[in-house]
Amino acid sequence: MKKLITKEILEKTAELARFDLEKEEEEKLLVDLEKILGHFEELKGLDSENVEPMAGHAYRQAPHNAGQAGGTEEKNVFRNDESARRSERERQNIAAAFPENRENFLKVPPVFE
Amino acid sequence: MHLHDLSVKKIRQGLMEKKFSAFEIARAFLDYAEEKNKDIGAYLRLTENLALEEANRVDIALAEGKNPGALAGVPLAVKDNILIEGELATAASKILENYRAAYDATVVKKLKATGAALLGKTNMDEFAMGSSTENSAFQLTKNPGDLERVPGGSSGGSAAAVAANMAIGALGSDTGGSIRQPAGFCGVVGLKPTYGAVSRYGLMAMASSLDQIGVFAKTVEDAAILFKEIAGHDPLDATGVETEYGGELLNPTLEQARSLRVGVPKEYFVAGMENEVAAAMDSAITSLKSLKLEFKEISLPHTKYALSCYYIIMPAEVSANLARFDGIRYGEVGGVSRAGLSLFDLYKQNRGRGFGAEAKRRIILGTFILSAGYYDAYYAKAQKVRSLIKNDFNEAFKEVDVILTPVSPTVAFKIGEKVNDPLAMYLSDIFTIPVNLAGLPAVSVPVRKSGLPVGFQLIGKRFREADILAVGRFYEKIFENR
Repeated sequence: MKKLITKEILEKTAELARFDLEKEEEEKLLVDLEKILGHFEELKGLDSENVEPMAGHAYRQAPHNAGQAGGTEEKNVFRNDESARRSERERQNIAAAFPENRENFLKVPPVFE
Repeated sequence: MHLHDLSVKKIRQGLMEKKFSAFEIARAFLDYAEEKNKDIGAYLRLTENLALEEANRVDIALAEGKNPGALAGVPLAVKDNILIEGELATAASKILENYRAAYDATVVKKLKATGAALLGKTNMDEFAMGSSTENSAFQLTKNPGDLERVPGGSSGGSAAAVAANMAIGALGSDTGGSIRQPAGFCGVVGLKPTYGAVSRYGLMAMASSLDQIGVFAKTVEDAAILFKEIAGHDPLDATGVETEYGGELLNPTLEQARSLRVGVPKEYFVAGMENEVAAAMDSAITSLKSLKLEFKEISLPHTKYALSCYYIIMPAEVSANLARFDGIRYGEVGGVSRAGLSLFDLYKQNRGRGFGAEAKRRIILGTFILSAGYYDAYYAKAQKVRSLIKNDFNEAFKEVDVILTPVSPTVAFKIGEKVNDPLAMYLSDIFTIPVNLAGLPAVSVPVRKSGLPVGFQLIGKRFREADILAVGRFYEKIFENR
């Protein structure tokens, strides 16, 4: 039977996901993913041609129609384009989590080389 | 004073009648939790100073004749993926081993304002991914009812803490059953509110269209009180809904409960369910029928596709949400030296060492599912199946008000039993997953029985937590005067 996932695809996916995988991890993942993807095959037999996709639960209003689970109304929730107000203490807490910071700057390895 | 007998209500009475102080309660719970944790492993760490300071504030307010808050002196535990400012928040992951929360989650802010004493942070499956709490990078949590068994997951630490009387209640998060399944395994009440009912600001996002913060308690009544205090719209959570919960949440009447029609979906009572669970369901239904509730068989025909649907949508969202963990923004990962590494290699080393096996499995799965060439076959299809599952519930709720199901097909399994077989582990959530896909509220209530705990699940209409809590509450009352 044709494999649903190959070693090459797994390695490429791991690269996209920014992982280093050990050899044993890779072998175990290949077995697990094949099994999981195999389980998903059941969806192929399900007719969903005229079904609206559900992308979440965008209900902004009060539960005007309690009982009906929302979801297909793909409405965006907007706010004004203003930066959120943060306390100075919060700002400092966030900066403190970085490995290195100096004079209000956060130090990371070079992004462009 | 017996810690084991206390409830939210009894603590309030005791404080008002000056039987004990909030400080005494907090101290007693901290001491007991510290001792008991050696066996159970429910807490990753206690937040002693925080709990005692809050308790002191409550005692001062009481001495001055001021209102000490709705949850004054109530000792609560908090799952480690929910932020408490200044405290470690690791989500049981090595990649956050050294991370201290920069701010309070909205639910934590609310609980602090009510005078609750936050005792500590509880163990969990890494980033809330798992059904047994065995995926914690730091420790095992044991089921207080049988130390050889798992407490369920991913909020296993919170469930075990409440079951072992190491807290009066706890916060958890539920993406596919992570509150209800451990509540069922440990014999406590677990409420997953409607999507949008409780702010998730300050909860580490796992799968954003499914995640919901909820509560654990020993009784349905306590769960209702805790839920009321954390519910409500928050401008910091764009998915929140403006809604109000009235008095019926806390003081349901039997007449109200009797007016509710209970549906039992035939698809949830099929082969594969353990005999002990089936017998417990019969017992729960018999008890509820004695309250003169109307029962009806219903059908949720797409139930069998829920697991596949969930295990496509959830990892897709996980792969996006966990991209932020890079070993830089939230502190360094132990054992990785930054010197000489390019940014790309640093990411790969940090994430390779920082994430555990299940986190990697789901990130890889999600990245694969969303990649070009596979998106339509998996993700786009799953979104349609999600609609079908949601529509099943909409149809059913035209005929009934509340749906009763088992919480899990098995009782708590042995530690190590399923840890190497992800698919077997995933199956333990088949009865809870559809609820998250549809965004509905549901509560896990322990069946009154001897032996290992079994929970029954009550699923309600959107924002009708009052319905499921009312049925659960009157179920409990049957046994109160025996």
